Amino acid sequence: MIGDQLEGRTFLKKIDWNFAAVIVALNIIGLINVFSATHGHAEVGGSDRLFWSQVFWLIVGWSFYLFVTLLDYNFFVRLGYLIYGLNLGALIAVMFVGKIALGAQRWLDFGFFSYQPSESMKLALVIIMAKVMSAKSHPDGLGLKQLIYPLLLIGVPFLVTAEQPDLGTAMMLFIIGASVLFFLRIKRRILITVVTVGILVGVGGWLFALHDYQRDRVYTFLDPGRDPRGKGYNSIQSKIAVGSGKVVGKGFRKGTQSQLEFLPERHTDFIYSVLSEEYGFVGSMLVVGLFATMFLLMIRIAQQARDKAGAILVVGVMANLFWQHFINIGMVTGLLPIVGIPLPLLSYGGSNMLTTMVALGLVSSVSYRKHMF
Amino acid sequence: MSQFIANEQEAKEYLPRYKILYGLIAFTVALFFIRLWYLQIINGTELRAFSEQNSIKETKIAAPRGIIYDRNGEILVENLPGFEVTISPQYVVGLESTAEAVGKALNMQPQTIVQMVQRSRKINGPFRSVKLKDNLSRDEIFNLEIIKNDYSGLDIKENVLRSYPMKANGAQLFGYVGEISKRQLPILNEKYVDKIKFQQGDVIGKAGLEEILDLSLRGKDGISVQQVDARGREAQNSNSNLLGNLTGIVPASPGNNVILTIDKDIQDSAYKAFVGNGHIGGLVAMKSNGEVLAWVSGPSYDPNEFSTGISTGLWSKLINDPDRPLRNKVIQDHNSPGSTFKPLMATAALSEGVITPTTIVNAPGSFRFGNRVYHDHQKGGEGNITVSEAIERSSNVFFYKMGIALGIDRMYRYCNAFGIGKRTGIELQGERSGLMPSAEWKKATVGEEWQPGENLSVAIGQGFVLTTPLQMAIAYNAIGTRGKVVKPFVVKKVLTGDNKVIQEFQPTVVKDLSDPAGEFHVRMEVFDTVREAMRRVVNGARGTARGSKLGFVEIAGKTGTSQVMSFAANDIYSTCENRPKYQRHHGWFIGYAPADNPEIAFGILAEHACHGAAAARVAKEIVQSYVAKYHPEWLTREPEKKGAKPVIQVRAPENEADPEPSVD
Repeated sequence: MIGDQLEGRTFLKKIDWNFAAVIVALNIIGLINVFSATHGHAEVGGSDRLFWSQVFWLIVGWSFYLFVTLLDYNFFVRLGYLIYGLNLGALIAVMFVGKIALGAQRWLDFGFFSYQPSESMKLALVIIMAKVMSAKSHPDGLGLKQLIYPLLLIGVPFLVTAEQPDLGTAMMLFIIGASVLFFLRIKRRILITVVTVGILVGVGGWLFALHDYQRDRVYTFLDPGRDPRGKGYNSIQSKIAVGSGKVVGKGFRKGTQSQLEFLPERHTDFIYSVLSEEYGFVGSMLVVGLFATMFLLMIRIAQQARDKAGAILVVGVMANLFWQHFINIGMVTGLLPIVGIPLPLLSYGGSNMLTTMVALGLVSSVSYRKHMF
Repeated sequence: MSQFIANEQEAKEYLPRYKILYGLIAFTVALFFIRLWYLQIINGTELRAFSEQNSIKETKIAAPRGIIYDRNGEILVENLPGFEVTISPQYVVGLESTAEAVGKALNMQPQTIVQMVQRSRKINGPFRSVKLKDNLSRDEIFNLEIIKNDYSGLDIKENVLRSYPMKANGAQLFGYVGEISKRQLPILNEKYVDKIKFQQGDVIGKAGLEEILDLSLRGKDGISVQQVDARGREAQNSNSNLLGNLTGIVPASPGNNVILTIDKDIQDSAYKAFVGNGHIGGLVAMKSNGEVLAWVSGPSYDPNEFSTGISTGLWSKLINDPDRPLRNKVIQDHNSPGSTFKPLMATAALSEGVITPTTIVNAPGSFRFGNRVYHDHQKGGEGNITVSEAIERSSNVFFYKMGIALGIDRMYRYCNAFGIGKRTGIELQGERSGLMPSAEWKKATVGEEWQPGENLSVAIGQGFVLTTPLQMAIAYNAIGTRGKVVKPFVVKKVLTGDNKVIQEFQPTVVKDLSDPAGEFHVRMEVFDTVREAMRRVVNGARGTARGSKLGFVEIAGKTGTSQVMSFAANDIYSTCENRPKYQRHHGWFIGYAPADNPEIAFGILAEHACHGAAAARVAKEIVQSYVAKYHPEWLTREPEKKGAKPVIQVRAPENEADPEPSVD
């Protein structure tokens, strides 16, 4: 009976069109704003080079999305260790041969394209977690013994990335891993212990391991006036941009904060400020709503997943995108400190666009093979 | 298929956990809703006004650069307060009329001002203020104050100008500062990642000590963020608002001060004696422990010109000057050392037993080797002479014979031990290594076998040999101190802005050639023979530098000429002074003083000066000023009759105490 159903569903019917539509909507909003933020600004290349590059990466991204959708996600889960190992290798390679960009070694230069292995590491981590954690059932929650191995898998790339130093991505790796483990349920006793130890390690790290500029960021977040020219200034300008949008915004390419270049990194980390300034509360909430819808659809896909690996995969991808969007929007609206984390699907950037689309492709692949209730 | 069903059971294990995720999403939407409502609806009007007025103005507060002192605390490089006028394009109402008024106040062409503003607006955008003029005079400030309130966007600001009170003296050592260029900005930011972030308009050290000590000297710029009204003036009511303490001042912290080993008085007299007499070239004087006392490169330039933004006319004049005033010739020019090489050859020959101090060698006016005739600079030659006389009178033929006997490998070993052909390792940038050839080197780079005839050229410091004045000073200092090859240095201490010592640099002996246990050992008697010969160069009856003899202290040294061009044999004796300037020989004088117990050493290269004697006269001035400052009691002392002493002083090898007395 089930077999009949499977045969009866064609490729077009099996694809989750709602999910794809939300992604396309966010993509289009992203393109409009990247155009607004870069058009006519000589300092970022001029002649819409960045806009067309973003279009190019979107097309590549969607090709991957469809390709991954058609592949069984279990293919990736089976290759989990290989993917994880290759990524870790690339991360370590970056430490030695990576070119210096924005103060840290994060890129491998392939001439036509700078590849940032810490981006795909997030995906590799999700896949390896799906593989390892789906192997056994833990109805009573994870104990200490069950936690050691997954924590090791999270810890190694975390340390390598933090050493680059790219604290933003290192933190993302940790948050993704921790979110997945938390979702799988951790025994309460351990949770309490971990939180306590976490606080102690945090204090220790603060005192001994952080770079001065990283510590500065935290200070500056607590008191933007401390560094009004630096990160505090960015935060202030971003808040002005968002707030000045009022209800419906100033209109396409009419945002003075972004057009007059008060906003830093307009086309990447601060793309949401550009949007908020030009489309106001309405536009800003539309994007918040689209993201929420996308995550709700992802939860439904996870619930309907045909196996545990699929469910964990979706939850992991969701953790990745959810926290990125949470931190990014939080930072440009002044709720969180300024860290270099882009807004998925909207910010300019090839590496991020590509890994995001592959990740969503995996979700789509899980959905493609879901149960029909 | 059964596995499929089993999996379904397993995946259901997670179903209760999804509640958390729903909760998280609901929380996030609510949080962003509230925050956006707060920013865009509640505070939207205020923030819209902010964004439309661009009502925040940021101004950099430049940190005062550290002061550079000499060894006795005399100021060498400092800062002077000044005033500059800037204009902020975004607040200008009517550029033409503003330029007209400002032009009148500053005595500038209004058209120039319009161009400056338009160009900056094109490059930097309307928010970067444009510096119209700095180093304003009292009258100019007065004129500007009158019109300031009628034309918006004008600002008179206090600034700090780097000042070099010694003007052109020491320019190549101290260097100069200037605004960071567009090309340098990304390069330096990449180089100093995590340490400092340079911005357009920052003043950086561009040459000399200003450049290499830049990170230490520059301090940290402050920033002032002020709320301003629509015309760009600071608003009085900067109430705190939802942006928190948006306005504020981060004060600048001053750079580190630096104490050099330089002695300002000796520097002054060296500069006067060298550049003041029109010499071109490089000069270094140092204590025998390596502390540099004076550093002169001529011709020079006034680094103050750079502080106020050098004009393109002056800049192109400096870089096109054939005498290259920007070049630090003490370490960046290397030339054939000529006869100043002979004491090193004598050391090698004596050490290797080629000759003894009393060996008599026939040194005629010319010498045939192979199928070439080699000439002495004295047509008649010197006759039968010992090594001591050969150095005193600078006999070429004597040293041709030494060169043949020693061979290139042995000459190379000795010169290399004295530091020839190697960088001395001084802190300054762009030091050339010079060149001490060897048979191996020639084969590897020229691709030819070493010719026996080349031994003759090397022995009198010609051929492939190249040295800098600093290298020669180090080598002679090693002879004078009987074996101590030291590392020269200029920076003695780095202090914080409030003069706490951060770093202190100590003299280093790179190697001691008198140490019998060392890898390279020269006997005391050898040093003494060469030292005595060099004493006689200045103090002997037939010495080539006898014109520079001082009554109260004995200088030891050696003159040399470095051929700029080769001439035909019949041209050799023609008068150098009659040639065009750039065909004249370079004159060298290297030495140390006092001759019997040296405290200072010097290397002087006077380019196109024809003779070493001219350089020796500069050395005399330096030694005179050193004695006047540190041993004034010697000035009244009677000249000793040292000329009567036997040629060789054989001293028992003693456990030598530190040869230089502590001066400070």
